[in-house]
Amino acid sequence: MTTYEWLLFLHVTGAFLLLGGGVVAASLNIAALRRDRPSEIVLLFGLIRIAVVSIMIGTLFAFVFGLWLVHEAGYGYGDGWVITAIVLLIVANAMGGIGGRRDEATAKFAAELAAQGDAPSTELRSRVRDPVSLALSYGSGLVLVAILAIMIWKPGA
Amino acid sequence: MLAVIRPDSWNLPLFLHVLGATVLFGATATVAIVGFAGRARTEHAAMLARVGFRTFLFGIVPGWILMYAAAAWVLDKEFPEDTPGWVDYGFVVSEGGAVLLLVLGVLAWLAARRKGTGRIAVAVPVLASIYLVALGVAWWAMSAKPGA
Repeated sequence: MTTYEWLLFLHVTGAFLLLGGGVVAASLNIAALRRDRPSEIVLLFGLIRIAVVSIMIGTLFAFVFGLWLVHEAGYGYGDGWVITAIVLLIVANAMGGIGGRRDEATAKFAAELAAQGDAPSTELRSRVRDPVSLALSYGSGLVLVAILAIMIWKPGA
Repeated sequence: MLAVIRPDSWNLPLFLHVLGATVLFGATATVAIVGFAGRARTEHAAMLARVGFRTFLFGIVPGWILMYAAAAWVLDKEFPEDTPGWVDYGFVVSEGGAVLLLVLGVLAWLAARRKGTGRIAVAVPVLASIYLVALGVAWWAMSAKPGA
């Protein structure tokens, strides 16, 4: 295998961990939206942490080996599609991070309710369905899909 | 480098292929995660088994269809006559893996019906993990293109 092929494999691995982690987080989040018992919501939100680890490792791999690939393949670091992809990666991480912190607070609230009898709560229900958190988390996923499109089309390259 | 240059008409099928593959990977990982979690958290095993089966239906099945159909589309454009050896790795995982996924779907359905208990509920995350490894081999072959 050439250096280019190794780098492409590691970059693609990062992309799979990043986007796949996003799919895991979305699947578990959708499952949580359908539940009412606080202990179930705590469990599902807790499992999303596994997805977060995958997203973090994926981001690191995609970014580091992606930049290396730019050099290896003869593109320029100043190319518009490279800069756009980097900016969007930062935006996606920021949106996902803010949404994740809001979900973490919801999970803490759900854990308190679970310890107090595990009865369904209207407030918990509305926090799980908080439109701002959902917009941030799913918006972050859409930005990642946009990055994938940029990686494929490389506009302006 | 010539290896990174391809006609524009290949981009849409390639994008859909990779998108489908990532959905397939993430959904399979979800089935594995909720399956193993159900073994550790027996009080929630029934709920987790239902989540696993729904993820199979609404994540794995559409992800596989998108990945496979888009792969056939891009192959038709890129290699209209003979396909190189590295493509065979992809076919082994997608077509051979389809059989494994069918078994996984049936077992996930049975596990959900049996409230996430019994040996079937153990088999679901194990099978999902095996498929994740197979997907890893496929994306290695697709990116490294051994023998190209």
